[in-house]
Amino acid sequence: MSYMDNTTKKRVLREGVIKSIWLATALISAVAVAFILGHVICTALSGFLFNTNWNPTGTPPSYGIAALIIDTLLVTLGALIFSVPLGLATAVYISYVAPPRMRDVVKPVIELLAGIPSVVYGFFGMIVLGSFLQKALNIPSGACWLAASIILGIMALPTIISVSEDALFAIPKDYKEASLSLGVTYWHTISHVLLPAAASGVSAAVILGMGRAIGETMAVMMIAGNAAIIPNPIWNVLSPVRTLTATLGIEMTEVATNSMHYYALFGVATILLLITLLINLTSYWLIKRMQTGSCLPDRMRNWTHSEGMRVAVAAVAGIIVVWFLSAVLGILSAVVITAAIGAWYFGREKISPKFAEKSSFGIIYACTAAVILILAIILWDIFANGLPAISWEFLTGRPKQCGLAGGIFTAIVGTLQLVAGAILITLPIGIGAAIYFTEYSHENLLTRALRIGNDLLNGTPSIVFGLFGFAFFVIYLNWGTCMLAGQICLAFMILPTIIRTTEEALKSVPNSLREASLGLGATQWQTIRKVVLPSAAPGILTGAILSVGRAAGETAPIMFTAVVFSKRFITRDVFDPVMALPYHLFALSTTVPDVTTQHYGTAVVLIALVIAIYLAAIFSRRHFQKKLFR
Amino acid sequence: MTPAIQANHLNLFYGTKQALFDVDILFEEKKITALVGPSGCGKSTLLRCLNRMNELIPTCKISGEILFRSENILKADPVELRKQIGMVFQQPNPFPKSIYDNIAYGPRAHGEHDTGKLDTIVENSLKSAALWDEVKDRLHDSALGLSGGQQQRLCIARTLAVSPEIILMDEPCSALDPIATSKIETLITDLKQKYTVIIVTHNMPQATRVSDMTGFMYLGKVIEMDETQTIFVNPAEKLTQHYITGKFG
Repeated sequence: MSYMDNTTKKRVLREGVIKSIWLATALISAVAVAFILGHVICTALSGFLFNTNWNPTGTPPSYGIAALIIDTLLVTLGALIFSVPLGLATAVYISYVAPPRMRDVVKPVIELLAGIPSVVYGFFGMIVLGSFLQKALNIPSGACWLAASIILGIMALPTIISVSEDALFAIPKDYKEASLSLGVTYWHTISHVLLPAAASGVSAAVILGMGRAIGETMAVMMIAGNAAIIPNPIWNVLSPVRTLTATLGIEMTEVATNSMHYYALFGVATILLLITLLINLTSYWLIKRMQTGSCLPDRMRNWTHSEGMRVAVAAVAGIIVVWFLSAVLGILSAVVITAAIGAWYFGREKISPKFAEKSSFGIIYACTAAVILILAIILWDIFANGLPAISWEFLTGRPKQCGLAGGIFTAIVGTLQLVAGAILITLPIGIGAAIYFTEYSHENLLTRALRIGNDLLNGTPSIVFGLFGFAFFVIYLNWGTCMLAGQICLAFMILPTIIRTTEEALKSVPNSLREASLGLGATQWQTIRKVVLPSAAPGILTGAILSVGRAAGETAPIMFTAVVFSKRFITRDVFDPVMALPYHLFALSTTVPDVTTQHYGTAVVLIALVIAIYLAAIFSRRHFQKKLFR
Repeated sequence: MTPAIQANHLNLFYGTKQALFDVDILFEEKKITALVGPSGCGKSTLLRCLNRMNELIPTCKISGEILFRSENILKADPVELRKQIGMVFQQPNPFPKSIYDNIAYGPRAHGEHDTGKLDTIVENSLKSAALWDEVKDRLHDSALGLSGGQQQRLCIARTLAVSPEIILMDEPCSALDPIATSKIETLITDLKQKYTVIIVTHNMPQATRVSDMTGFMYLGKVIEMDETQTIFVNPAEKLTQHYITGKFG
């Protein structure tokens, strides 16, 4: 620019310098404010949030929970690394690949996996997985991060599978036809149209699975080793860990009410709630986003489509997987597996679609088989060792020597009482709420708030319900440990599941049916009662059954509120404590060092009870469906 | 007259119920052939045999032969076949992706990843489907935001992007309003310069407007097949006459 002479240049430069100086001062003040605030908050929390030393019974006591948070996240990450691929593959198998007859086999298997109580998983983890790891890896104790992650992964599988299967199943069949008619292989259709179309549901599945893993208490308590330390080095999967939930489960029973330690435990529960809150809000936001606009805005699109970004994501994912695998299986196999994945990722555009289809389906079959095998191993172990313990005496006798011998009749009855009470309380509320959400409400601030509240309740770890029940019913209302408190806690715990599944079932009833009925002059309630509810009944039933099964096997919500270790007589008053199967198994496993047939016998009865509930459910669902489609 | 595709002694069963009875039919190249007939006469079933979409129904059994390029497609690979014989469905069924990604889906799946080439394919396909001018400024918006008629033209463009030889249309206008219908009809007439089009329709006037040849089907059999003019003015069979004059159906 020739018209700009030297003086002008200088002037411009000077102006620029002056501007920068003011900017710097402005920045300094902003940084100062941030620093002061940050320092105050850090100092305030450093004893709690950023302190890695959890030792409430030491002198002086220390209440740092950083190690607990990190352990929780590590255990969850480990669980997801293998449950997400396995779960997604199985969901794809069930919804798209399986012939109808196989689907009828695999689906109940998944439901069964979901129905196995967490305390049984913990028991299996202690007895079988723990000692296997101990021998195979030659470590002092099998209770470690790896064991906890494996068990939690198995426990998260049914959630991931069933939620993503529902999402996949809901994708219109039109997409499949449209894609196939373009001469595209079925696998390409699944991976490029159907799975992306179900992305919101699938990510919800993963996040719910994650919530399941973070919120689990009993199994983790039994197999994670429970040392409140950060693994050293951080990828040492053989290190014992202690999660937030386990801390609550272990210490809540031993702590003096209203002591500093007591409040610290509620602090732990608050952090746990905040984490699950964060998870749930993320998933909520994610799903909303995907529902409203299925396409990303241009800027994000370019970002996700850029080659560099993809490579970066692949690299990060690769590093995490290699870490985990090399710790579990050894360096060599980790490298081989990673190389295979990398070869697939970068070579996939060159391999023929036919080959891609064959190998992908092969992997999917293998994953599904693995899931079935896991269930088979668990059931085989429990039943092979437990069935000999079952006798008439065992089932109908009363406990002797504080439950170490004798029968478990009172525990069986107690469990049934707890579950019956819970479902009676929760079913009318849950179905009513779901009807309101789907049939009556228009989207407004109130319903949105209610819906978010419900989602948050759903993500709340079961131990928190127990904690709440303990603080409110047992201590504040001064009911003491009693059956009613346990029933209410269980009812709260399964309420969101019932609402959610009922809502899903109601939504899956096509609107045309409602319109047809309304068009004939039926009122809204008539339409709901005669048309919508009958069509949705199988779905509602499934939800209710899964909830009952879950309630029957839950330990965490009842262990501070309703149960005692041993009780000779059946409870007849709701304000008396009960004996329950899952807690009985937990107490036996953690207090009696030698594994006895008493353990296995209790586990068998517990599983058999749950299976019986499930079978009843599956049959009645089939019955309903037949009636509906005839 | 060159045959594009022909069926010989085609029988089709859904479970135990027979839907097609010994069908012999020949479709000419670069012509538009309409299949008409009352509901349930098997015209859609016949159409869906031509690119083997019926095989998605597990109970479906087919015998006979369908010759395409002098090869029996019932013994060929369905995936390869469907690249050559595209299909447009009754309900517009765009994928929940952007307009661009909908069109580029087929070519990408068949191994085309060059951005420049894909851009050309997308533009040409949309132009051939008479949709380019309406969407060229929002190619990366969701296809689900288009109107029904636009969606159906998008589906046609998506089919064209794979450059098939034959395009099968299963009542492509039955879910659309008259204006959208007339746009699609104009489009179909333009398509015959490059493609063989076979269209199933319920709408008699539509058959007369767009097609060169018309086949009349009844109860799973092809009753008559001739020039559209002949079928509608002077059909050989009494049954055809009754149907087109509206005595049944």
